[in-house]
Amino acid sequence: MTDTPRDWNAIRAVIRKDVTAVRRSKAVVIPMLAVPFLLLVILPLLIGVAARSQGGGVGNFLDSVPAGLADPITDLPEDEQMIVLVNGYLLAPLFLIVPLMVSAVLAADAFAGEKERRTMETLLHLPISNRDLFVAKLLGAFIPAIAVSWVGFALFCVVTNAVAWGVMGRIFVPTRLWGVVIFWVAPAVAMLGLGVMVRVSVRARSTQEANQLGGAVVLPLIFLAVGQSTGLLLVDLPVAFAIGAVIWVLALWLTRRGARRFTRDEIATRI
Amino acid sequence: MAAAAIQTVQLTRRFPSGTALDRLDLEVFPGEVLALLGPNGAGKTTTIRLLNGVLQPDSGSARVLGLDPAVDGHAIRQRTGVLTENAGLDDRLTARENLEVVARIRGLKPAVAHERVGELLERFDMGERADVAVQGASTGQRKRIALVRALLHDPELLFLDEPTSGLDPAATRDVIELISSLATEHGRTVVLCTHFLGEAGRLADRMAVLHRGTLRAAGRPAELAAEMWQGLPTDIELAAPADARVLGLLRPLDGVITAESTPTGLRVEVGHRDVIARVVRTLVDASVDVFAATPQPHTLEDVYFAIEAQLEIESIS
Repeated sequence: MTDTPRDWNAIRAVIRKDVTAVRRSKAVVIPMLAVPFLLLVILPLLIGVAARSQGGGVGNFLDSVPAGLADPITDLPEDEQMIVLVNGYLLAPLFLIVPLMVSAVLAADAFAGEKERRTMETLLHLPISNRDLFVAKLLGAFIPAIAVSWVGFALFCVVTNAVAWGVMGRIFVPTRLWGVVIFWVAPAVAMLGLGVMVRVSVRARSTQEANQLGGAVVLPLIFLAVGQSTGLLLVDLPVAFAIGAVIWVLALWLTRRGARRFTRDEIATRI
Repeated sequence: MAAAAIQTVQLTRRFPSGTALDRLDLEVFPGEVLALLGPNGAGKTTTIRLLNGVLQPDSGSARVLGLDPAVDGHAIRQRTGVLTENAGLDDRLTARENLEVVARIRGLKPAVAHERVGELLERFDMGERADVAVQGASTGQRKRIALVRALLHDPELLFLDEPTSGLDPAATRDVIELISSLATEHGRTVVLCTHFLGEAGRLADRMAVLHRGTLRAAGRPAELAAEMWQGLPTDIELAAPADARVLGLLRPLDGVITAESTPTGLRVEVGHRDVIARVVRTLVDASVDVFAATPQPHTLEDVYFAIEAQLEIESIS
């Protein structure tokens, strides 16, 4: 097949179309914003309020946590320990649900949704290469997922620092761990969500079916969060970097495989 | 004759569910309107997808505008316009947004795309709906927007799948006139898939009948009719249905193939147009009042149904 040069105008046009369409879809926007709002605004707010009203250390809990994670917290004054532990550390892996979920929802809409709405055939009959169409669909989900994650994180920082100001008297998030999570692990996780949903969407006939099949992706993240909070995972900086790297490799592998199967012939056979 | 705009040789495509297109040999010449006919599942959509480089053939080959769709699909799609059976519009976008995406993909600059889209929407009486979300648009309105999409870049070759389904009579007439002018005045080649045989009869230079993925007939309707029927049916209007005496006068005449009574007189099938005059003269000489003699050449519709009937008989036997 003749290889065509990358057409960024076409890619931008498809991305703009997908993003505009999603912005107007309440069924997509509401869950996409509600979960980050709960995780990144409401949850830290409640934790902050609880920490301020109850105070107290988390010594018993820290006994079961590896020293690398426990030491910097044990060194803090007792009334700061809970808020720093939860908002500074334990929420970090939970935060990864945001890019994962947003990218998965958007990818389901971009790939399976296009089939469901019977608009995919229109795209297949246009002069846009398989590769450019795939890149456009991928970026159309990846960029908003990262945008939502980063804006959500900015809100999280504001809320957390504001609510904890009375206890902390200083800005304590973002921590270095958060930095790694936001700029290294979160994009990897968003790409992982995309990689999975691209594969799922090839088989799914509707957005709902794709979301149901892809929902299994959230579980590993929940396990990761639980794992960290029980000290099973040493999520300090090097480990966070390593986990990010592993997720990137997995995500890129899945995406590459998805791209190989993203051919007009394959898609047209299933619509 | 000019090189064919479309040529397929033994073009075949199979799916796990079965063979969708089986050894299709077809030619369409520039400026020609070909009606691709057949029931649902006949292979019409698969043919369009193969010709536009969306599907890859399992065997056989095709040339479209001088290019091989299996290799140069991208280049072919730049020169073709497709109206899919389903309008394929995103309900969440406006008509203009749906069209401008396509215009941008087709390489039109934003300002040019905006102007071209506006111009075509006005031409199709969709100007007022240009900036309203497609959700809520009628089938006919969707079809018109989709037609605009197929024509945005003034394509050399058009694949139109059911272009008038869902349109009201006035819009249907407009679309038929448009397709006709695209072919006759602008030299565009059109492959028309339709269930409306009257429409196909008005527009198509040639017809191709597909049945379960196999081409069962292809050619000009008159040529196909000549292969199927020997003569030219002609209705003769009399004061009353023809009786045995009248039929007896005509049946022995040279050039008369059949003569049957009808409620308005009789129908003769003649070997040649000239025979009609002889038939009328014979009746008048026998003091039979003749009010009209109207040749009824076989239409595309007659040909299609005769082929379908043949296929039905074949499948039963």
